[in-house]
Formats: sequence, C-alpha cells, structure tokens
Amino acid sequence: MAKPKIASDWMCGCAGCHMSLLDMDERILKVAELADLRATPITDLKEPDASGVDVGVLEGGINNTANEEVAHKMRARAKILVALGDCAVFGGVPAMRNFCGVEAALKRAYVEAESNEPGCEIPNDPELATMTQTRAIHEVVPVDYNVPGCPPDADVIFYVLAELAQGRKPELKDDLLHWH
Amino acid sequence: MVQLTINGKQIEVPEGTTVLRAAAQAGITIPTLCDHKELTPYGGCRLCIVEVQGFRVPIASCTLPATQGMVVSTETEALKKSRKFVLSMLFSERNHFCPFCQVSGGDCELQNAAYHEEMTHWPMQPGWNNYPVDSTHPYFVLDNNRCILCRRCVRACGELAGNFTLSVAERGAASIIIADTNVPLGESTCIKCGTCVQVCPTGALIDRTSAYQGNEAQITPVKSVCVGCSVGCSVNLLVRDNRLVRIEGDWTGPVNHGLLCEHGRYDPMTESRQRITSPLVRKNGQLEPVSWDEALGAVADKLKPLAGDAHTGVAAIASTRLPVETLSMFKELFAGEFKAHIVTSTEEGMTTAAVFAVAERMGAFEGKLDVLRTADLTLCLGADIVNSHMVAGFLIKRALPKGMRLVSINPQAGVLEDLADLALVNQPGSDLSLVEGLKAIIVKEGLGRTPLALPNAARLIEEAVRATGIPLEKLTQAARMLAGAISPVILFGKGITAQRSEHLIESLHSLAILVGAVERERAGLISMKGEANSTAAALLGLDAPFVLNGQQAVFAAIGDDYVSGRLVKRLVKAPYLVVQAAYQSKLTEQADVVLPVSTWAEQEGHYINLDGRVQKAEKVLTGPEAVRDSTAVLGEIAMRMNMPVRADWQQAIRERKPSMALN
Repeated sequence: MAKPKIASDWMCGCAGCHMSLLDMDERILKVAELADLRATPITDLKEPDASGVDVGVLEGGINNTANEEVAHKMRARAKILVALGDCAVFGGVPAMRNFCGVEAALKRAYVEAESNEPGCEIPNDPELATMTQTRAIHEVVPVDYNVPGCPPDADVIFYVLAELAQGRKPELKDDLLHWH
Repeated sequence: MVQLTINGKQIEVPEGTTVLRAAAQAGITIPTLCDHKELTPYGGCRLCIVEVQGFRVPIASCTLPATQGMVVSTETEALKKSRKFVLSMLFSERNHFCPFCQVSGGDCELQNAAYHEEMTHWPMQPGWNNYPVDSTHPYFVLDNNRCILCRRCVRACGELAGNFTLSVAERGAASIIIADTNVPLGESTCIKCGTCVQVCPTGALIDRTSAYQGNEAQITPVKSVCVGCSVGCSVNLLVRDNRLVRIEGDWTGPVNHGLLCEHGRYDPMTESRQRITSPLVRKNGQLEPVSWDEALGAVADKLKPLAGDAHTGVAAIASTRLPVETLSMFKELFAGEFKAHIVTSTEEGMTTAAVFAVAERMGAFEGKLDVLRTADLTLCLGADIVNSHMVAGFLIKRALPKGMRLVSINPQAGVLEDLADLALVNQPGSDLSLVEGLKAIIVKEGLGRTPLALPNAARLIEEAVRATGIPLEKLTQAARMLAGAISPVILFGKGITAQRSEHLIESLHSLAILVGAVERERAGLISMKGEANSTAAALLGLDAPFVLNGQQAVFAAIGDDYVSGRLVKRLVKAPYLVVQAAYQSKLTEQADVVLPVSTWAEQEGHYINLDGRVQKAEKVLTGPEAVRDSTAVLGEIAMRMNMPVRADWQQAIRERKPSMALN
C-alpha cells in the first residue's frame, strides 16, 4: 500500500506551529517513514497535489481573501483536514482585532503607530487580498480534527500525524490536550 | 441523615447537604465553576447539572438538597453533551482566548473544565463584544471581558468580607461586575482585601504583582502565618526562585478561614523599605560596614561590663512582631544573668499587661474568636476592630446581615459608626464608670443572667452618666441590648487595656458573666491585643513600660517591624544604641551598631495569636548573604558574653499563666 500523503500550509499565524512540528526532532524521520510529506511552506512544493492528499494540515486562522483560497484549496484536495494550533482552531491572537474591527486595527498599525513616519497610509494596492474578520478554519470550511495549542507541543503533533498516517483516529485528551 | 445513590454508590449525608457536596464526600467529582466551598450555592454556571431519577430535566446539583432515596447520575452521555454545550455558551459570550490570558495553563478553572470535557475547539465563536476593563485599583485589575458571571467575587465580597462593594449591573449577556454604584474600583468602598481575586475562577480579576509570573499550578504553596497583627491569619505563600509571588488566604485556617486583609495579602508584596545587608558600626560619627565578628565583638565589649548593673546598665526592648523563639532568647539573655533594668517589648504591655495580671489571679478567662460565629450581639469597647484587626472586623461585618447586632462604645467619635446598631462616644478615661454603669442598669432592671449584688446601683448609674457624658437613655439602651442578647460577645481593644487597670478588666469580666457572654463552656470576652506576638511577649513578661532613666546602653531588637516615631524619639537619648533590624529606619540611622537580621519569611518561627493559637511561620525565602537569623544573633551575643542560654521557648512561655487557653 502506498504511503499516505500529507500536505501542510499556513495562513494567519506566526509559523510557530510549523516550528513546533520541527521540534519533534528525529521523530520527523519516523513521520517521513510512515507518510509521504508533500507540499509544506518549508519545502519546495508549495501547493497540495492537484490529485489530492490524504491529510491536509493548516496553521493559522483566516483573516483575508487569500487565506480563504488556501483553506478552500486544501479542503478540496485533502481527505482529512487538520486545523493546527490556536489560530486555526479558535482564531488565536490575530482574532484580538475582531474586538475593535479591521478598519481600526489597520489604522492603528499603519497610520497611528508611534514608529510610523507622518503621512503613512493603509496599503491599498488592488493586488492585495482584502482583509476580513479573523475566523477559525471551521467557520470557513469543515475541519476533521482540531489540534489546539499555542503552539501545540511537538509530542501532540507527532501523535496526531502518526495516528493519521497509520489510519487511526487521534483522540486529544489529558496530557495531549492544551489550548496554549 | 438521608440516604441517596450517586452513580450506583450508596451515600449517607446529613439532611440539607446538596447533591454536589454529597458527591464530593463520596469522592465523585462533579465539574462546576460558580461553586466555592466557602460560599453559599448560587446555581449560576449550570455546569454541575446531574440527572435525577423521576426528574424531567437535568438539574444543577449545587442548589439541589439531597433527599431520601434519591437516585443521581453524574456522568451519562447526555450530561456530557449538555456540559459541553454549557461551556460552549460560556466561551461564546466574551473574550476567552487563552494565549493572551494570564491564568492560562493550569490556573483557569474555565480552561480546566473544557479540558475535562475534552473540548478541542469552540463550536460557537465569540460575539466580539467589548466589556469594560477597570484598572483603577492599586492591587488588581477587573477585566469584564474574561468574566463568566459566576458571581463568586460578588458573594465573597459580601458573604466573606462583609463589605458588599461588588455587585452586578445590567442583565443577561450585558451583565458586568461593578463596584458600588458603578464607580471605578480604585475610588470605591473596596477595602482591598483581595478575596475576590482569590476566588475568581478565570482571568477576570488579575493580581497586579503576580500576573504573568508563572502558573500557580506549578508552585507548591507553603502554609505559614501572617504577622501583620495579632489575629494570626493562616496564609499560603507562593514562592518562585526565592521570590514571593503572591500571598493567599488559607481556606483551612482556623482563625481566618481563607480571609486576609490588605496588610496580610499585599504589604509584603509592596515592601519598599531599604534592606540592611551588612553589619554596621559607627566610626568617627559614620555607620560603616564591618564583619559580623567585629560588630558582635563591639556589642559584647560594650554590654558585658554593664551586666549586673540593674539601674544604669542596659535597657532592652524587642518588637512583638518577632517570633517567640527570638523573644524568649531575648528575655533569657537580658533578664537572666545579665540583669538588665528594663527588658520589655515595643508594645510595653499596652495591650496585654492588665489582662495577664488579672489572669495571674483568676486563671484563663478569655475566649476564642470562633464565638463570633454564633454571636447575636457584639459589644466593642475601645477597639476600632474594622481598622486595627481587619480580618476580625470581617468576621463581625459578615455576621451583621445575618442578624448579629453591634454596639460600639469608644472615646473616639466615628469608630464603627457606619456599622453599629448603636455607637456611643464616652469621655476618655471613663471606661470603668461606663462598665460599672452598664452593670448597674442591668441589675436595677433585673435583666442579669446571673445574680449580682449591687447595693449602690443608683449611684453607679449616676456616676456613669456623669463620667461618660452619655445620656442615661442611651446607656440604658446599650445595657438592654446587651442583656437581651442570647449569645453576646464582648471585644475590647487597646483603648481599654492601655489604661493598665486590672480593676477595669475585672469589671468587664463581671459584666460578661452578668450578661452571659462568659458562662460554662462559652467564653465571649476577648481582648484584641496588638501585634503578631503580643500574647507571646506577655507570656514572657515583656510588658513593662519602657522609660529610659540614665541607662548607658540600649539594645533594640526590631526584626522586620516598622519603627514608630515615638520609639525613635525616646531612643535619641540613648548614649549607646544597638539595633537589630531587617530594614533601614530612623532608628538604625542613629544606632551605634546595626545587626542585619532576617524577615518573617526568611526564618522559621512561632507566633501566638490573640486567642492563644501557637502557629508556625515557615522559612520560605533565603535572605541576603550577610543577614542572620534574629534568634541566632542573640545566641551569638550571649556566647560572646559568656552567658549561656537554654533557648527553650516552649518552657519559657509556660512560666506565666495565660489569659486564654493555649492551643
């Protein structure tokens, strides 16, 4: 039987969850043994295979139209979708801006911040994706497994990937369940 | 007793026990958020729902009394689903994002509850509404965005501290916690006891000093005792890397039952006095750092020739905030072979001398603060308890809404005025006439619980009215209230004891017997004492007035106590002054030798509180390198003067009759 294919991508997060994935040290070889690691943001292949993958892993929440596309593409191409980390699961730190709104957050960052030069504007290049409210992935596309944590421990990521690669359903509880 | 079955387990509990408590007794944990064992059940969070055979729907177990034959289930699939739903609703209300919350990672009961239900995400996202944040309080921040409206803080404020500052404004999802009539916390009637912060299950009430300094779940709290005053509250000290992170009230504390006041909880956290880190000796008018050997040598050389000179030799004074080990050693050293003329404490027996002198003849007559739990009237004489002994004040304040009445008679206007059913102001020094007058009225009206012959009652009443300046009708009102109470308690403070009148204490005692405050097993007469070890100092006989009269040297053992301006003023005259202290003060500035010693948290020691509990304070911190234990320093001086000490404090405190049972 062919090894299951795993692809990952990141959206509105800090890349910390992928760092935590690397934090599993030599066990990543075990994952590579069990599964065929395909597209990831830290490998050459950047998009999940058009022919589909078995497991798609997404880090980060969804806070603009570009992220929406990434989420939809991964959902369409992955049999099982894993939301990795607090931003993917809940919206996380970027969701703080939902309490003040996109407009106010952009203005604070690009116009009012103490470090800005006078006359700064909110970027408005038409090629830029449109900002939206920050959402958890499950608000945009159906998610099969939510793996919370900020970031999730390497142990948790290893457990989830190893279980999925071997065709089992990971169950997060007790020591494996942490939201941050 | 009623029998019920929970999860198939047969349990017997006293009538009136809630199903939640019954389950806990049987070792069955039912998740809950709004429940707290020291607070009355509220039924707010609905997390503790259970299924009861014959009931149509699940019901909150915290407000459900167990009844005979009840069959309860706590862990069915339907209940698990319901609890997850309850939590989902809570998470959807406000800002419960964990990564930027200071209680995340073990200290949050909401997060722990979600883990318990194995929630990997929120089925419903929050509504992104903003709620007020109040950061006007000096010790904590109230963030309504983290609040789950369990009302533990509101209940603790009223039920435990008796202060009723916190309440809830608005309705439903718009509800917020407010102070008074929605004024900023920092400008409210809050008395800063911090009990609300201690009971908050989430990050809605944030302690300023310990926030973001690591999880409580990763620190082993050490049980110790507060040395702020004579109440002797049990505390849990949270220490990390030799640093005090937070102080919490110990719920199992026999006196305070979890409560602390501003001084106990926050004073050690905001300590700003400068530490003394080296022995100092005055050379050419300047205090200079020297070795311990040199400093102790200087002290021994100066003091030794003065030993045995009972008049112009040495005067020794020790703080009543020092542990009994130090006080006992101090007493043995200076009152023993050394024969110093004055060996006393900084309180000079102002809060204890008369009481202990009476006990010398009568035996123990004072009661335990526990009597306040069943009191229906408290008479406070010469004591501003709410301010001087705050936690004892809470015990009184919280009993008032339950029907306890409070009568305060004090020479100072305004004392307990806001709280008392009757607050009277008597002329200074008229307390004996006052007490005799109250007794005479009770006897004259035939209201006494025990027989007392007072042939001259009419004259005593007349004298009381004249001396106290209180009109007869008010005195009569106070006397009738006192005589009419079923379980009265009489508390008296420094205003009474500082008069050093044994006659006054005896008179008070006979009043207590007359009205039934003291009868058979019940002892409802208590003096409030002063500092943490007032009682120990009294037991050691360190209670004489401190009057310098030509003494050639003074030894002052201050420890980590605050130095009163009065003491400094009196010690200016000392020709040679040795100060043993932890912190710099006006006193150390004028000393000839300064010996740096440990603080309360840096050395093990025992304290005897106002009602006779012998309690141990633990060593939880390591002091600066050159600082020594206050008992050890005295032992060293004794050795250098060749005056060996036995250092048996347990024996030493038994040489005098206590005014209350020691335990």
